[in-house]
Formats: sequence, structure tokens, C-alpha cells
Amino acid sequence: MKKIMIDPITRLEGHGKITIFLNDDGSVANTYFQVPELRGFEKFSEGRPAEDMPQITQRICGVCPEAHHMAATKALDDLFHVEPTSTAKKLRELLYSAFFVTDHTTHFYILAAPDFVMGPDAHPAERNILGVIGKVGLELGGAVINTRKQNHWIIQTVGGRPIHPCFGLPGGVSRAINEEERAKIEEIAKASVEFGKVSLKVFDDVVLKNKVYLDMVLSDTYTQKSYNMGLVDKNNKVNFYDGKVRVVGPDGKEFCKYAPREYLEHIAERVEPWTYLKFPYLKKIGWKGFVDGKDSGVYRATPLSRLNAADGMATPLAQEEYEKMYSILGGKPANYTLATHWARLVELLYAAERLLDLSRDPEITSPNIRNIPTAKPDEGVGIVEAPRGTLTHHYITDEKGVIKKCNLIVGTTNNYAPLFMSIKKAAEDFIKPGVKITEGLLNRIEMAWRPYDPCLSCATHALPGQLPLEVTIYDAQGNELKKLSQGI
Amino acid sequence: MKTLVLGLGNPILSDDGVGIKVAREVANQLNNPQVTVAETSAAGLSLLDSIVGYDKVIIIDAIQTEKGRAGQIYRMGTEDFSLTKHFSSPHQINLATALELGKMLNLAMPQEITIFAVEAKDITNFSEKCTPKVEQAIPEVVKMVLEDLVG
Repeated sequence: MKKIMIDPITRLEGHGKITIFLNDDGSVANTYFQVPELRGFEKFSEGRPAEDMPQITQRICGVCPEAHHMAATKALDDLFHVEPTSTAKKLRELLYSAFFVTDHTTHFYILAAPDFVMGPDAHPAERNILGVIGKVGLELGGAVINTRKQNHWIIQTVGGRPIHPCFGLPGGVSRAINEEERAKIEEIAKASVEFGKVSLKVFDDVVLKNKVYLDMVLSDTYTQKSYNMGLVDKNNKVNFYDGKVRVVGPDGKEFCKYAPREYLEHIAERVEPWTYLKFPYLKKIGWKGFVDGKDSGVYRATPLSRLNAADGMATPLAQEEYEKMYSILGGKPANYTLATHWARLVELLYAAERLLDLSRDPEITSPNIRNIPTAKPDEGVGIVEAPRGTLTHHYITDEKGVIKKCNLIVGTTNNYAPLFMSIKKAAEDFIKPGVKITEGLLNRIEMAWRPYDPCLSCATHALPGQLPLEVTIYDAQGNELKKLSQGI
Repeated sequence: MKTLVLGLGNPILSDDGVGIKVAREVANQLNNPQVTVAETSAAGLSLLDSIVGYDKVIIIDAIQTEKGRAGQIYRMGTEDFSLTKHFSSPHQINLATALELGKMLNLAMPQEITIFAVEAKDITNFSEKCTPKVEQAIPEVVKMVLEDLVG
């Protein structure tokens, strides 16, 4: 077999690459995936005032600036040893809930729905949002655009600026909301709850009632028994904004629960020679390779992991859907990667319900939005759930609050190892000797990747914020057999 | 005619910020109340949100092609959107999808769209500065945008 070097120095041209090497008999010998890695952020932030980090870090990602803004803000609370006011915390969570509504809506309808609504073998020209709207109807298409637009209005109004909030401060937020704004937020939240219910109905009609899809969801190819990570509140219910990080094993038992400052006791990073990416894993179990199971330190941080890691949802309609989901999937934890799309919709409903509750909170229009810090800054960690996974910001500063060091673990980074494993398994299960390699086949490999919704800044202004991806298959002699690309 | 000049990109990611830098310079030099100059680092459907309601839109962005030279400037019109062979940027197909989606949903889509793209060298290292050849292309792109607005 001809040897082909995978050299991570090779320029990736701003897209992800899955490379599959075949044996002589046509079975899969090896699978690799590479994504472009953004470099130099630590150096870039050295010497900058920590108070700028909510503004700076939200520029890292064009898809989830709000997540970075919030993690950075919480890191500042910790850095300056200041507790935000009750109203500030609620305003932050309100904005954050609206953000989750927009982000999960976008992901489901643009990225997930095409595979299920149009079918995994549909022509790529149809397997997109246009095809989906063609099938589910213009009214729902309009509702997708409208839900996003309305919730973006909330983010802009509460956050002070479109897309990139100028909102988070150590100890609070920069502006309060008035009654007129609050009332409009409440109306938008009510409509968003209805939209969440409709989206779950779409999933029910299109996926759950279709035996072929349900079998695909429950198939071994798309199953991975890794640990699950997510933020939980004091009742162990899913919370995107605050709480402790809880990790639950593939057997359903709680493995650990840690406060933000303790993250380095629990997470370490593995280096591999064929990629610049580092793979986080659970330190106390150790790195055992790209394998799943109780004895491997590989963990997942996705919407499904969050639901697996919690004991339930904090709002009633989402809790009902959570219970329905687990009853159909055969109990907790659910290890079916494709069910991540379902979990994402349950989260969408929760985010909308939470938004509604917060909009009705008696404190939400209070002017008491900030506690001024008085302590000297030194070190701070802030953790939130980004839509794509647990997001950690860690800053070390001098006594004036100027950054000396920073470390970020972004949502998608948590999932590098499981993502790779999911792709590898799909490749090995679908590409077999004598089986013709079609676009539909390669799409089924990509379907292993899509639930993770990898977010990388090279997709900054690509529609729909999707990672451009190329899948290439080489035969045993190293000749290129087939290439498939999306968004390129 | 309502016109939008929209700089796309990430201002802290080296050459990925060129679109935004051009837009800012256009705003400095322009004195026309009919023209809105904006910038966005937003992804996805937010691009659609930005362009709805305008008659004419000029987009400025970074691009990476297989054979391009850093600082090279491309101009693409609506008629170029169906062609996907020459450029390996995600933007072309995705912008075309955005336009189709807008039309499908009866949103007020612009009739005229022009993209100015600058070949980027580095879009993976964090920096507030563009690389030299890209930086040098900025005044030329600004000139082209201003001419397009008048013409």
C-alpha cells in the first residue's frame, strides 16, 4: 500500500478535510479528519486589559459571539472577586436564552433538517434549507426567519448592539431594560415557545414516524458510549448560563461535578502527531486512545450530552419532551449521536420557556444592575454552555487586570475526539469491499459529523455558518477515488 | 435607491478583516445619505437579515482561491453567482442560497449585488493587522467601491 503522509502543515484552505484510506480489498484502512485551527490567541490577548475580553473574544466566532461574551463576563466576575446583582444575572440569562433560541433554530433547519426532511440520498442541490422549506411549507420557513429576527432584536436591545453585545461587566451588565422593552420580550418569548413546539412536531412527523430514520438514529453505526458533560443548576437541571459542570458516565452514573475554578483538575489535553488539534479528555480516567466506554477518558459535550448529564429540564414543556425522548430512546443515557438533533430541539423549547419566565420576573426591569468590584484581580474562570458544548474561559492577570495568560476551551474542542470517532466508525461501517461509493454514502459519513455542529471561525461569514468540508477517499495505491465537498 | 455597502469579516483574524477595513475607509470618504455603510462578522442567515430592504448591495470580503495571489482583487456581479468553478470560497454558493431563500420567502431582496473580494494570505492567525500585500490592496478596493457607487 502506498503511504501518504498526512502533514498538518499542509494548508487547509479554510475548510475541514476527512481523508479515508482503503485497503486492497476496498475496506477502510484508516480515517483522518483535519480542521483549520486558529492560532495565536493567547499571544494576541497578552497585555490587553481583561475587561476588554468580552468584546475581544466575541470576535473569535461569527456564529456564537454571545457565548464568548458571556463566558468572558463570568470570568471577569471571578477575576475581580465580585458577585453580580440578582437582576444582572437574570438579564444575562435572558439574553443568553434568546441567543440559544436563534442558534438552535438556525442549526436545526439549515443543517439537520435537510438530511431528514429531504432524505440522506437526495441530491445535494435539494438537500438544503430551500428543499426543506419547499417540503414543510413557506409558513414554517417564514417562522424560522421571524423567530431568529425577533430574538436577535432581544439580543440587540438587552445587549446594546447587534450581534456583538457590549453588555457584560465584572459584577453586572451595562444597561437595564424598561417596561416597554420587557413587554415586547414577553411577546416574542411566547411566540418562541410556540415555535419550539412546532419544531418538535416537525421532528416527530418527519423522523420519529419514519421507521427508516428511527432505525438510523438507533443504529450501532451512530452510537458512541462516551462520558457526557454539561452545566447543571443546583437541582441538576440543564442550565446554559450558570452552575457546575457535571460529567455522567455511559452507564448513567455521575462521575464528577466541578466548579469552574476546578476545571484543570478534571480536563487534560492529548496531542497527536497528525494534527494541530488537541483532544481534551477526563484526566482522572486517562487517555486510552480514540475509544469509547467507561474506561476511556473521551467525553462529549453536546445538546444530547447536556441532557444526559442532567436529571431533567427546569421548565415543564421541555421536561415533557425530555421524558418522551428518553422513553423512545430506551432510557438514560442515550448514546445515539443522531439523537443530538432531537436534544437540540428540546433545548430550543427550554430556552424559549426560560426566556418567558425571565421576562416575567418582577426583578427584570430593576435598575440595580451592577456591583462595582473592589478587590484586586488575579485569576478567573468563567464557564457557560455554548450551543456546541461547554465553553471555558480562564484568565490570569497582573494586579492591574492586564492579561498575562489566557486559556480557552471552546465548545467544539471538547468534541474533537468523539467527532473523529463518529466519522471513523461511519466510514468503516459504510465503506465496504464491493460497495459502490456514492454521494449518498459519503453523506451518511457526514451525518456522523453534523450533530456536533462544529463551529470554527473559518465559517465566520459563510451561510449558514457551516464548516466547508471535503471528503476524499484514496485506494490502496494512494490514487484518489472519490471526492465530495460541501460549502466549498 | 437604497444602497448598502457591507464589509464582511473578522477584524481580529488578520486578512479576514480586510472587508471591514475597506468598509470603514469607504465610510470615511463617503458623503451620501442614500448609502448605508455597515460591517458584520456575523455568520449564516444574518447575512440575509443584513441585505433585506436594500435595492443595491456592495459586499466586500476576503477570499481564498487555489491560485490567487495575496492582495489580488476580484469583482463579481449577480451574473457570476451561478458559476462555482473558479472560486473555492464558501461565500459564492452560500450567498446564492441566501438570495434564493429570500426570494422564496418573498423578502425584499436587492436587485443589484456586487461583491469585491480580496485574496487573503492569512486567515488563521489572530491579529488586528492584515498582511502587507492585502493591506496595500485596501485603497484600490475603496476606490473601486466608490466608483461603483457613483457609476
